[in-house]
Amino acid sequence: MAAKYVIGIDLGTTNCVAAYAPLEAEQPKTELLPIPQLVAPNTIEARRSLPSFVYLAEEHEAGGALDAPWAQDRDYAVGELARLRGAEKPDRTVGAAKSWLAHSRVDRREPILPWNAPHDVRKISPVVASQRYLEHLAAAWNARFPDAPLEEQRVVLTAPASFDAAARELTREAAASAGLPSDLILLEEPQAAVYAWVSSEGDRWRRRVKVGDTLLVCDVGGGTTDLTLVGVAEQAGELQLQRLAVGNHLLVGGDNMDLALAHYVAELFGKKNVKLDPWQSVALWHSCRAAKESLLANDGPEKQSISVLGRGSKLIGGTVSVEVDRASVVKLIIDGFLPSCSMDDSPARRRASGFMEIGLPYESDTAITRHLAAFLRMHGDPQEGPVAPTQILFNGGAFKSDVLRDRLLQVLRGWSGKKKGAQVLEGEQDLDYAVARGAAYYGWAKEHGGVRIRGGTARSYYVGIETSGLAVPGAPRPLRALCVAPIGMEEGSETDVPSGDIGLVVGEAAQFRFFSSPVRKQDKPGDVLSSWSEEELTETDSVEAILPADEAIDEPYVPVRFHTKITELGVFELWCFSPQTGGRWKLEFSVRDRDEP
Amino acid sequence: MRLLLAFRVFFRILFDRQTSEQVRRLVQEGPPAEKPEERPQPAQAPAPAAPSRPPRSEALTLLAALQREARLLDFVMEPLDGFSDAEVGAAARDVHRDCGKVLQRWFAVEAISDQEEGSEVELRSGFDAACYRLVGNVSGEPPYRGRLMHHGWKATRCETPTWTGDESAARVISPIEVEVS
Repeated sequence: MAAKYVIGIDLGTTNCVAAYAPLEAEQPKTELLPIPQLVAPNTIEARRSLPSFVYLAEEHEAGGALDAPWAQDRDYAVGELARLRGAEKPDRTVGAAKSWLAHSRVDRREPILPWNAPHDVRKISPVVASQRYLEHLAAAWNARFPDAPLEEQRVVLTAPASFDAAARELTREAAASAGLPSDLILLEEPQAAVYAWVSSEGDRWRRRVKVGDTLLVCDVGGGTTDLTLVGVAEQAGELQLQRLAVGNHLLVGGDNMDLALAHYVAELFGKKNVKLDPWQSVALWHSCRAAKESLLANDGPEKQSISVLGRGSKLIGGTVSVEVDRASVVKLIIDGFLPSCSMDDSPARRRASGFMEIGLPYESDTAITRHLAAFLRMHGDPQEGPVAPTQILFNGGAFKSDVLRDRLLQVLRGWSGKKKGAQVLEGEQDLDYAVARGAAYYGWAKEHGGVRIRGGTARSYYVGIETSGLAVPGAPRPLRALCVAPIGMEEGSETDVPSGDIGLVVGEAAQFRFFSSPVRKQDKPGDVLSSWSEEELTETDSVEAILPADEAIDEPYVPVRFHTKITELGVFELWCFSPQTGGRWKLEFSVRDRDEP
Repeated sequence: MRLLLAFRVFFRILFDRQTSEQVRRLVQEGPPAEKPEERPQPAQAPAPAAPSRPPRSEALTLLAALQREARLLDFVMEPLDGFSDAEVGAAARDVHRDCGKVLQRWFAVEAISDQEEGSEVELRSGFDAACYRLVGNVSGEPPYRGRLMHHGWKATRCETPTWTGDESAARVISPIEVEVS
């Protein structure tokens, strides 16, 4: 059956959103899918977003109270109820599964979440958690459109621009298990935000930008920050958008700001000799989240009281409150997250300790401005210096605050010196739902024609090759990195990787270390690096293939070369082939625990 | 403080038979945005539930949400004697804010008239009678001239949650909370 709708799904770190439009529409007007979900036991309410949390219930809680309209006898819950329980029972609540997907130090298919949970909790894997959110969205869709099942529609799923090939592959795997169509399109989130802007502007967007402009997409979500640069060029008289660079997946976001404010207010309570118990601390976090919006608005009140209501039914009697002044809160958030800094500043590095916790690598420096400076410098031109964006597109709930938007703009303008500073991109900026809406628009535009952001792969990829040579006891063999895919490799293209023959043992798993780089734009397939810095090249999951014993091969090993392909759907495939026998084997990501070197 | 008035009226409707009858008459020809619900009358003999009727009134589901998200019931049920206005105010701010969130999410409440209160209005013949309450000296045929005293409220949507529990849990507005040690 032909697809009737295009559905854009924003699989967020803290919230998921789905938007849709009829595929045949002349001008796509995207609608948000209402998502029925548990908000309390036995209570199902439709909301516009699905908090990305899974609550693994205790036995006495199951038995019907956690049923969804489409599932009985559930022993887990997804969405708002799970988010609320997360504060009360962190040991039983999975959150930030998406950030775990990109975390190559753990096996993402093993049940490891909630991280550090006690043994009696039936843990789930990061892939399964992501699958649960997508299953929920699929069920919500199918309940609303029984005549147009999701697996027959055109679906665009967004992933962080910083996701490497392995994390994208795992996202696809979760989507496939959740019943999403196999021709699913993966789209980078910041690009989706740009498409949302294009779709809301219609043809006007061409007048809002000009050739040579550089857009900075600054996406500060609940738990993550993503930076992307999109350039405006011209081809055959038409404006073209080109994704120029993507930053790393930074684990700092709006939730950190709420928490920072909560710590500050807890100290104010402490000065009044009010000690908050754990339940009150959770309630305080909630109050701070609500107070942050008005405190960080330009016309916010100079002073505001923040209260923690009494826990029992004696509400008024048990309420404690303190007065906070707006100036201190603004200073706290700005100094912590958007401090003024020079273009040459770098994020403070984590101090290396002997015992590294293996949990999520939260940023040790929460200063988004310093991360931004490093990002603009890294993608700058050796002659012209760091990138100077001309426009900025905000995304993510944190930027509802004028204070934060103004502040980021001010810091950015400070860097541009005498040149004209960055402007906010004119037009509608829908901070919470842009990514899902933009994804739906992209799916529509792919069918009907419309502006497309060019860019290809955001990273270049390398296979680690151990050089042969005399073994030195105690020293690993020198490692070289063979470039197998350049930055900007377009969808639907493939290339042979020129190299010498690499011998693979037949009948055994051949495993290669695998690296990627968002910055090495100069590397071409076949280039061999013998040294690199840790900032340029990051190791990700290894790739492996098993070469079946083949009658055509007499030797114990077979000489092979590499071949890279980016499918039309944006899937990265690495093959090795034997010029002698004509055999071809696909290398698969091995997401098992990586042996630490 | 219209929100407070709205709450007061809400509870009067819920718990006071006479008021509920008065309001029912008042809105009989009113806009059908919010259907008058079958209200449970705990003091009266509860009517046996018809098989098609949902196991719980939507009014109770709303009350449960206002308690869960905004602690409204705790606030209203607590005697105010002995608390200063400041103490009541400190708690009321949070309850006020969170009640507003629930009501906006479910009903997207908006003013019916966008005219300033206190401004002159003219009602031509054929005006939507359900949207107006005319007080004062009303006689003869429209047009009527007068002063807008209240801009009115309307629900621009009515999205109430579905409740999936059984009969025994239907009257529980907020469960007993026990912290297991």
